[in-house]
Amino acid sequence: MTPSLTRRGLAGLALGLALGGALPALAQSSGEPVMIGVSGPLTGPQAQYGALWKQGFDLALERINAEGGIDGRPLEYTFEDSQNDPRQTIAIAQKFISDPAIVVEVGDFSSTASMAASPLYQRGGLVQFGFTNSHPDFTKTGDYMWSSSISQSQEQQVMADYAVDRLGLRRIAVLHLNTDWGTTAKNIFVEEAKKRGAEVVAAEGYLPDEKDFRATLTRIKASDPDGLLLESYYSDGALLVRQIREVGIDLPIVAVGSVYSPDFLSLAGDAANGVHTTAYFTPVSPRPEVQAFIKDFTAEYGQEPNNFNAMAYDTMNILAEVMRRHGTTREEIKAGLGEISGVPSVLFPEVSFDPETRRVMGLEPTELIVKDGAFQLFQP
Amino acid sequence: MSSGALLSATGVTRRFGGIIAVDGVDLHVREGEFLSVIGPNGAGKTTLFNLISGQDRMDEGRVMLEGRDITNLSPRRMAEAGVARTFQHGRVFGNLSVMDNVLIGCHTRLRAARPRVPVVAPVLEILRALIRPASVRAEEAAMREEVRAIVATFGERLTPRLDEPTYALSYANRRRVEIARALALHPRILILDEPTAGMNESETVEMRDIVDALKRQGRTILLIEHKLDMVMRLSDRVMAMDNGRVIAEGTPAAVRDDPKVIEAYLGHATIGGGEPAEASLMPGTSRAAGGVQ
Amino acid sequence: MGSILSLPWFDFTVSGVVIGSIYALMAVGLALIFGVANLINFAHGAVFTVGAYVGWVCAVALGLPLWATVPLVALGGGLVGAGIEYIAIRPLNRQSRIAPLLATIGVGLILDQIVHILFGANPRALPVPMPGWRVSVGQGSIGPIDITIFVTAVIAAAALYAFLFRTRLGMAVRATAQDEDAAKQMGVNIHAVNMAVFAIAGALGAIAGLLVGIYYNAIDPNTSFQIMLKGMVAIVIGGMANVPGAIGGGVILGLIESYGIALFGASYRNLFAFAVLLLMLLVKPNGLFAKGREREAEPMTGTFVIQSMPVRPPGWLLALGVAAAALVPLAGQPYLTQVMTNAFLYALAAISLTLIAGTVGLVSIGHAALLAIGAYASALLTIAGLPVALGLVAAAAITALLGTALAYPAFRLRGHYVAIGTLAIGEIVSLVILNWTSLTNGSMGVFGIPPLTLFGVDFFSTNPSYWLVLGLVVVFALLQTRLLSSHLGRTWRAIREDTVAAETYGVGSNYYKGLAYGFAGFTAGLAGAVTAHQFSYINFDTFNLLTSVLILTIVILGGLGNVTGAIVAAVLVAGLPEMFRVLAEYRMLFYGAALLLLIRFRPRGLLGSG
Repeated sequence: MTPSLTRRGLAGLALGLALGGALPALAQSSGEPVMIGVSGPLTGPQAQYGALWKQGFDLALERINAEGGIDGRPLEYTFEDSQNDPRQTIAIAQKFISDPAIVVEVGDFSSTASMAASPLYQRGGLVQFGFTNSHPDFTKTGDYMWSSSISQSQEQQVMADYAVDRLGLRRIAVLHLNTDWGTTAKNIFVEEAKKRGAEVVAAEGYLPDEKDFRATLTRIKASDPDGLLLESYYSDGALLVRQIREVGIDLPIVAVGSVYSPDFLSLAGDAANGVHTTAYFTPVSPRPEVQAFIKDFTAEYGQEPNNFNAMAYDTMNILAEVMRRHGTTREEIKAGLGEISGVPSVLFPEVSFDPETRRVMGLEPTELIVKDGAFQLFQP
Repeated sequence: MSSGALLSATGVTRRFGGIIAVDGVDLHVREGEFLSVIGPNGAGKTTLFNLISGQDRMDEGRVMLEGRDITNLSPRRMAEAGVARTFQHGRVFGNLSVMDNVLIGCHTRLRAARPRVPVVAPVLEILRALIRPASVRAEEAAMREEVRAIVATFGERLTPRLDEPTYALSYANRRRVEIARALALHPRILILDEPTAGMNESETVEMRDIVDALKRQGRTILLIEHKLDMVMRLSDRVMAMDNGRVIAEGTPAAVRDDPKVIEAYLGHATIGGGEPAEASLMPGTSRAAGGVQ
Repeated sequence: MGSILSLPWFDFTVSGVVIGSIYALMAVGLALIFGVANLINFAHGAVFTVGAYVGWVCAVALGLPLWATVPLVALGGGLVGAGIEYIAIRPLNRQSRIAPLLATIGVGLILDQIVHILFGANPRALPVPMPGWRVSVGQGSIGPIDITIFVTAVIAAAALYAFLFRTRLGMAVRATAQDEDAAKQMGVNIHAVNMAVFAIAGALGAIAGLLVGIYYNAIDPNTSFQIMLKGMVAIVIGGMANVPGAIGGGVILGLIESYGIALFGASYRNLFAFAVLLLMLLVKPNGLFAKGREREAEPMTGTFVIQSMPVRPPGWLLALGVAAAALVPLAGQPYLTQVMTNAFLYALAAISLTLIAGTVGLVSIGHAALLAIGAYASALLTIAGLPVALGLVAAAAITALLGTALAYPAFRLRGHYVAIGTLAIGEIVSLVILNWTSLTNGSMGVFGIPPLTLFGVDFFSTNPSYWLVLGLVVVFALLQTRLLSSHLGRTWRAIREDTVAAETYGVGSNYYKGLAYGFAGFTAGLAGAVTAHQFSYINFDTFNLLTSVLILTIVILGGLGNVTGAIVAAVLVAGLPEMFRVLAEYRMLFYGAALLLLIRFRPRGLLGSG
C-alpha cells in the first residue's frame, strides 16, 4: 500500500502545481509510448460525441505527459472511427486485440456498438473500458468489461429521488429516447418511482432523429401528469423543452444528467429555465480538481466543458493512474482496475471500482436547476 | 353462325369514359382461316385485338375459343389457351438473345422445368433449375432444337445471329424474332398486329412472304393491316371497322368495293397510309393508373 | 386515459397542421421537380440542410438581419439546386428515370458530408429574433414562425401554380414535362427550363431549411434524409407533380401522424407515414386529388440495365480469385481478415440484390429489411434454444417466405415507384421490429446472440468465420449463376425487359418475381443471420436505410445482374475504405461520389450488366 500512497501523493502534488499554473518541466515523458486504443464515432450521426471525447482526451494527455507520462513513457491513444456501428466496432476490436502495442481499449459510444465487440475483447484478453456505456448489461459480458459510466440503475435511482422525494411529484409522464439506452432508463425509472410511491401516468418513446413532439406532448398532456421526466440527450432534450412550453405545459421538468451541457442551454433558449437535472461533473462544484479542469479546458478550447468532455478527461486520468500504480501490460491493467482506489476525478469524489459489477462506487450527484439561462445548484 | 368457328367473339364492347371504342363487335374465325381486320385510324381495330388477347378488359361481350369461354382472361391465361399475338411496334426483349427470346415463346409448354404441384411448386421449380434432372435437360434441349427449326424457316437471316442480343438486330429482323416467338407458343390462333408497320418496300414484301408461308402451313390467323395490298392477297375474309363498329364483312374484293368502306376511308383521308396512333397501343399507356400495371 | 372521444382532438389537429406545413414546404419543391423532370429529387433534403447552414452563417456568424438572410439563403439554395441539375440530371437525360434518382441520392450524401465536414455534427442553435407574441390555440399556442412556415408554403405553391399555368415560361416548363421532344421543336430551351426549375426548388428547399431551423432553434447535418422522406410521402399523397396538392399532402400527412400518435403513441409516427406511402402507391398512385388521368403512366420498363455484354472472366481466373481470397487469413492480420469478412457479408447481400434489382429489374432501396429479418429470425430462434446451424437455415427460409410476402405489393409497381415502395417496405420492417416489443425486444435490441458454432465446430474466431462467409459467397454465387443459365434466368430477364410482352407469352410475372425474391431472400437472410451471430447484439437500426443504399451502390458498381461484379464491388466498396482508415471521415463522401460517378460514367458497372 505504501508505494501507491506515495504515487497518489505525487499525483496530488502535480495537480497542485498544475493548479498554480506552472507545469513542471522536470518530468517530460519520452521513450516508447503507452498506447490506448479508442473506438468511437468520428463520422455518422453520433460524430459530435467523438469530437467531444477527443477534446477531453487531449487535455488529459497533455497534463499526464507533462507530468512524466507513465513512468517516463508518454501516454498516447489511437482513435478508430466506428461511426458507432457494430459492424465497425468488431473490426476495430480485431485490430486492437492483434496489435500488441495497445494495452487497453476505450469505448465505444453506445452500449449497442460496444457490446457487439465485447465478446471479442473478452476472448482476446484486452480490457474494454466503456465510459459512456450505462447499459446495465455492458459489464456483464465478462471480467474484461469495465465502466466508469454511472450505470442506469444508479442513475435512475437518483432521478427518482429527485423527482419524487425532492420535488414531490406523484403523477409523472416520461419521455424517452426509443433506443436501448432510453428504454432501459425508462424501465428502471418506472420501477424506482413506484417504489417511492409515485405513478408513471404516460411513457412515450421517440426516435433520435425526431424533431417534432407537439402531438406526443398533446398525448402527454391528456394523461394529466404533475411533472415530466426526460430521458434524453441534450440536443433532443432541448427540442423537447421548447415544445413542452409551446404546447402550454407548465409543469416541473426533470431531465436525466445527459442534458447537462452548455449546448442544451443555447439550443433550448429561454425554455430551459426551470428544468431540473443532476450532474456528477459541474462547474459549480467547489472541488479544486473540477475548477482546474474547467480553467484548463476553457483556456484550450475557448468554451466550457460538458459532461462528455469531463468523462473523456476522467477516463484518461483513471487509466493513467492504474498504469502508474499497477503496470502497463493488459493483465496488469485488468487487475489494477479491480484494486485501485482514491483516483482523483472531476466527476466523482474519487474513483474506485466495485470488483463485482466493475462499475464506479460511491456516487455523489449534484442537484441542479436552470435559472437565468445557467445551471445552478438547486436549493428548494 | 358461330358453329364451327375456332374463335368466336360476340357483342364485344369497350368504353373509355364517354367514348365507345368498340361497340358490339362480332368476330368469328374458322380453323385455318385467314381473317383480316381493316379500317381507318381510330376505328377500334387494335382495341378489339387487345380485348381478344387479354391485354384489355371488355365491358360487355364474350369470347369463345374452341368452345371454351376465354372472356377477359389475363394475357397469361390467353397464352396458355393458345392465343399468341405480336405487337404493332414490336416488343422483343432487347437484352435477350434471339434464342432466349424465342424460348420465352415456349414457356407455356415447359413441363419438366415447371412442376405443377400445389404449394411447393416454387421451391421445386428452383430446385429443378439448380439440379437439372435428365427430364429438364432433355426438355430444354428439345425446345432449343425446335427454336432453331422455327428460326430456320426465316431463311439465313436469323440463324447466324441466334446468340446475339436482339437490340443489335435490324428492325425487320426483330419483327421476325417476334413472329418466331409467337410460333414457339404452338398457338391455336395467331394474332398479328400490323406486322409491316414501319417497314420499307422490300421488307414489306419479305414480311408478306413470311405471313403467306404461315397461311400455307394452315394456321388460323387474325391480321390487322394497313397495307391493303397484303390484305387483298392473303385474306380469306376481310372485316372493315369504323367508329368501333363493323361496317362490312366478306371476301376481300367485296369489302374493298363496299361504298361504306370507301366512305369511311375517304372520310378519314388516310387510306393505308401512315402510322396509326391509337393511344392504347403505345407502350406505357395501356392502363390509367400511374404506377400500377 | 379515458375514451377516444375524450382525447384533445383539437390540439392534435393543431399539432398535425404545424408539422404538416413543414412537410408541405418540402413537398412543394419536390412536386415542382417531379412535375418537370419526372424525378424524385432525393437531394432535396440536403438542399434543406444547406439552407439551414447558410442561414446560420448569415444570421449568427455574420450577424445579418433576417431580411438580408432570407435572400442569401434563397440564392445559396438556388445555386445548389442548379448545380444538382447540371451535375446529376442533365448528363443522364437519355437514361431511364431510376438513374437520375440514384444520382440524386449520391449528390445528397455528398452535400450532407460537406456540411458535416465544414460545420461538424454538433447541432447548432439558430437564434433569430422573432416577434415575441404567441396566439393561444386550444390549450397550446402558435407563434409567428409557425404561421410564417405555413404561409410561405401556401404562397410558394400559389406562386408556382400561377407561374406554371399563367406565364409563358411556365407553359414552356409544362410543355417540357409533357413531351420533351415536342417542346424542343417549339423552341423551348429544355436545359434552361430544367435548370430554372431546380434553382427555384432549391431556393424553396433552402428557405424551408432556414425556417425550420429557426422554428426548432436547432440545425444539424443529419436531418436531410428524414425530412426529404416526409416530403416525398406528402407528394405521393398530394399527387406527384401536383404543386397545390403538395400542400394538402403535407398537411394530411401531418394530421395522420398526429392522430396516429394520439391513438397509438409516438413510436408509431413513422410507421404511419410509410404505411400511408405504400397504401397510396398501391391504391391511388396519382394522389388523392387526381381527377382521372392527369399524367401519362410510367414507361413499362423500370430498369436502367444498359444494353451491354457483361464481362465474363474465364473460369481459371475466378478459381484463382477464390484461392487468393481463401489465403487472406494467412497474412496474419486479423483486422484485414475481419474487414474482408465484412466485405464478403456485403457481397452475399449484394449477390441477392443484384438478382432482384439487376436480373428482374426491381430496383430496391429496402434490401436491408431482408438482412434484418434473417438476423432477427436466427437470433431469436437460437436464443430460444435452436442450434445455430438450424437457426441459420430456418432464418434463411423465413426470410425467403416473409421477404417475398412483404415485397409482393411492390411487384405491381414499376419504374421508380418500385424504389419508393421498397424503401417504404424497408422502413416499415425496421419500425415493426422497433414496436413489436414482445417479440423483438423493441428498441432494447437482442443481446446475447450465440456465437457461430456449427455442429460443435468453432466458426466464431476470426479465421474460421472468414472462411465460412467466403464459402457461403462462393456457394451462392455458383447457385445463382446456375439459376441464371436455366429457364428462370431468361424468364426473369424477359420480365425486366418488357413485363407486358412476357405476360402475353404466358409468363406469370408476379410468380417469377416471387421466385427471385424467394431465392434472394434466402441468400440475404443467411447474410443477415451470420451477421447477427457475429455481432452478438442487433437492434432495429443495425440494418438501416444507409445499408440498403450501400448494397445498391455495390450492385450498380458491379454491374446490375452481374454476380461476379457484385462480389468484386463489395470488396472495393466495403473493404477499401476500411483499409485506408485515414479517409474514414470522408467515407460517406466516397460512397456518394462513387454512386454519382458510376451512374454518370459507367452505369453498366465495372463488369457490365447482365
